[in-house]
Amino acid sequence: MNIKITYNWLLDYLDTYATPDELQKYLSLSGPSIERVEKVGNDYVFDVEITSNRIDTASVVGIAQEAQAILPMFGKSACLKFNPLEEYCFKKYYLNHGRGIDNKKLKVIIKDKFLCSRFTAIVLENIKIAPSPDFIRKRLIACGIKSINNVVDISNYLMLALGQPVHVFDYDEIKKQIMVMRKSKKGEKIVTLDEKEVTLFGGDIVIEDGSGRLVDLCGVMGGLNSAISDKTKNVVLFVQTYDKVRIRKTTMTTGVRTVAATFFEKGLDPERIEPTLVYGVELLEKYAQGKIASKLYDIYPEKHIDKKLEIRNSKFEKIIGIKIEKEKIEKILKNLGFEIIYLGDGRIQIIVPSWRANDINIPEDIVEEVARVYGYHNIPSILQPIVYVNQPKEMEDIFIFQNRIKLLLKHLGLNEVINYSMVSKEQLIEFCLDPKKHLRLSNTLSKDIEYLRTYLTVSLYKNIVDNTGKKEVLKLFEIGKTYQQQIGELPKEIYKIGIATNTDYFDLKGIIEAIYRELNINELNVPEIIEKDGVFMAEIDFQSLVDNCQLVMKYKPIHPYAVIKLDKTFGISPHTTYAIVRQKAFQSKLLRKIEVVTLYQNKLTLRFYYSSTERNITEEEAKAELYKVRP
Amino acid sequence: MDSKKYEVEINGVKSLVKLNELEIKYLGRNGEINKLLSAIGNIPNEEKREYGQKVNKLKQKIIKLIGIKKLELLNKKSAAYFDKTLPGKIYPKGSLHIISNAIEEITKIYEKIGFIRVSYPEVDWEYGAFESLNMPSGHPARDDVETSFIDIPAHPKFGKMVLTPHTSNGQNREMKRVGQPPIRMINISKCYRPNWDATHTPMFHQFEGLCVDREITIANLKGTLDYFAEKYFGKGTKTRLRPHHFQFTEPSFEVDTSCNVCKGVGTIHELSVQQKCKVCKSGWLELGGTGMVHPNVLREGKIDPKIYTGWAFGFGIERVIMMKYGLDDVRNYYSGDIRFLEQF
Repeated sequence: MNIKITYNWLLDYLDTYATPDELQKYLSLSGPSIERVEKVGNDYVFDVEITSNRIDTASVVGIAQEAQAILPMFGKSACLKFNPLEEYCFKKYYLNHGRGIDNKKLKVIIKDKFLCSRFTAIVLENIKIAPSPDFIRKRLIACGIKSINNVVDISNYLMLALGQPVHVFDYDEIKKQIMVMRKSKKGEKIVTLDEKEVTLFGGDIVIEDGSGRLVDLCGVMGGLNSAISDKTKNVVLFVQTYDKVRIRKTTMTTGVRTVAATFFEKGLDPERIEPTLVYGVELLEKYAQGKIASKLYDIYPEKHIDKKLEIRNSKFEKIIGIKIEKEKIEKILKNLGFEIIYLGDGRIQIIVPSWRANDINIPEDIVEEVARVYGYHNIPSILQPIVYVNQPKEMEDIFIFQNRIKLLLKHLGLNEVINYSMVSKEQLIEFCLDPKKHLRLSNTLSKDIEYLRTYLTVSLYKNIVDNTGKKEVLKLFEIGKTYQQQIGELPKEIYKIGIATNTDYFDLKGIIEAIYRELNINELNVPEIIEKDGVFMAEIDFQSLVDNCQLVMKYKPIHPYAVIKLDKTFGISPHTTYAIVRQKAFQSKLLRKIEVVTLYQNKLTLRFYYSSTERNITEEEAKAELYKVRP
Repeated sequence: MDSKKYEVEINGVKSLVKLNELEIKYLGRNGEINKLLSAIGNIPNEEKREYGQKVNKLKQKIIKLIGIKKLELLNKKSAAYFDKTLPGKIYPKGSLHIISNAIEEITKIYEKIGFIRVSYPEVDWEYGAFESLNMPSGHPARDDVETSFIDIPAHPKFGKMVLTPHTSNGQNREMKRVGQPPIRMINISKCYRPNWDATHTPMFHQFEGLCVDREITIANLKGTLDYFAEKYFGKGTKTRLRPHHFQFTEPSFEVDTSCNVCKGVGTIHELSVQQKCKVCKSGWLELGGTGMVHPNVLREGKIDPKIYTGWAFGFGIERVIMMKYGLDDVRNYYSGDIRFLEQF
């Protein structure tokens, strides 16, 4: 996900002389990637990529914390001049407001404590709905969020400032002032703020009011029935952290993807609720004339306990490859909010800040923190030692022979093509193949690529058809896998060579024979050549070539004896084919080879080469041998 | 045979056709020379040897004369017409797919530093594509890897059948195949994701590097990346790592290489003004994702992370071709258009 924040907003918290460009450059090298900086008015908007493990950085304060650790490593001083996470706390709230207010009651019932790790709410009365103050409006708009009214804007402003989504209800629409948080039942419906009816899958976190209406699809979107309107007088400021797995399931099953959900599904820090609520109250008081009208509800069954991790000092060098001074490691980790206790024997205990409790789990995570802030550019570049690893023969063969065949076919004038491994149902049917015997994609993007192919020729045929008119002579080949379905198992992935031409039968046959010659293959039948609308196609099983190939032909000693060449013409017919003639002719021990001289109508003229490896034979002897070859 | 006659005849000939006729007359199967040779039977035995030698000598003379004459006639003929600027005989020239060329180049680069190329399935279970890579089911990180699913019942243990969305499924298989490090793997394969627009095709190619051994560090990963960048993109190409997040590596990085057009500066001097480089805009181009193999991934491959560490990367072949040759219309790659194919 990406978020947008502004430079001036960042400077509310951070004291630094770093320019927007420097912030972009240095943070991107050592922390969150700032993909774009755009000048808007007299402010700059940063477009920041937030990786899924660092949802804690998806806020102005989150980026300020990163900047505080990173900028000093580039010689730019930076420190938090105002830390809202510490300044806005319940202690201060009670100092300012006391504990006695309870004019507007709210009854909260949580049916299952595992739904919500922390629940807070507070009612404010006498709200004046109006446009937001300029600075809020401008910042929100710059960050790509629509400005609606002061109350709604404040909730969005809080989310961007602190990284904790909040919801604001119209208090008077919460019937009987009862809120029941529970799991949804399958088939329950709620109309959300965007006026769409959502049918729930069951097990989603929802809030039901005293009249039995659902008023909130928690963590995803509020209900339309209790939304803020122009007439709203009293509001409930509602700040929670939920079970992330449930939120994710809800957003996946309903298809409602909101910004709030992308925060909650990653798991938020319950400790962040406190500053968010207190800051929220301050903003609603200041910019919506709200007055506190209820107790501060805070249901926090399992309070945060500091996460501790142990790491050996040597671990840093083991992974990074160079030694980083102890003081530097300490400084980096402290600037990021970690605490360090040296336990002796080179062991260090790390206390993880609450907002990092989700993503810091193993010593390697600590190494990453140190290494990135230290600067990856400061780590040397050293190739690891070269060692020998045996490559399995069958894998080696695949690549060696593929290359040999690819080069041969290229030099014979063929063009290599790579097609999608998937074809359409129509293509299969066109080749009389049963779609049911092909693996099908359940979420294909297009009907054109729905079935995994079992023949390359299905694709190659289409290539020739598609290229008609672009080039007169087309000779294409592809080497790739086909996928044979197997029940209960992964498909058999079989490498094939497919060839297609728009020339003629013997052209294609000659190409296949050339492959066989290249690989010194004698005893392998030419695969079936099929013709379809003037396209000639054949497919060879790759492994059969590897299995039948000889690297070097069996050596035949050169002999000095005469070779007698004789020509003979046959009338070919089903009973006298070349293959039959050949088979008969090779019964002679003296025959070395046969060549086709000409074929005119059914008159086939062949040239026979006779010789012996032991002596000179006479023309008569050869003629006698040839004489035996007759229809 | 009149020794002067053949000389006169051959020297006097004016055309190649006539010369061919003479060649047959003297050297053909029923030619004069063979006639002389077959007459050897009538020669007394003691003279046979000398006779044979004489005939052979004569034969060589004739061959030589004909040869000389042939050349002379050929040259004479072309003296008027021989245009050396004409193209030579046209031999067929086919083409290899640009992906094949890149695969070959990349394989060779890694082969030199001891990496073996492997071949693993393109259709795998979710286990191979995700669980074995520290991405348990339901994890939001799976959203970043859009996946094509096969419409058959899920395997009770390994989950749904998928088209591999990355080459990383080779990691677990290679660890289990080798059993014990060292591992030096390069896995190049087709990958699939349901994405189809100007810059994405639903099928693409990745190459995956995996190196596991004792004392493998980030410095080694940087060494390998720099080596590759120099060999593939050209001397002087630099790389840089930026922090990122992947479930199967810790730490995780994104790698950039310095732009070859502006030499990493981000601006070029064109039409006598300094302009933003149109290729990279900032001096750097994103190559892909990499990192140190996550201990959970090693464990899943039956390798002890207390003893061994490793790095891994997965880069797009289409991407490196685009970076090297500026060939950015990926949709052409798999369209089978002959006008595209025959250019390589």
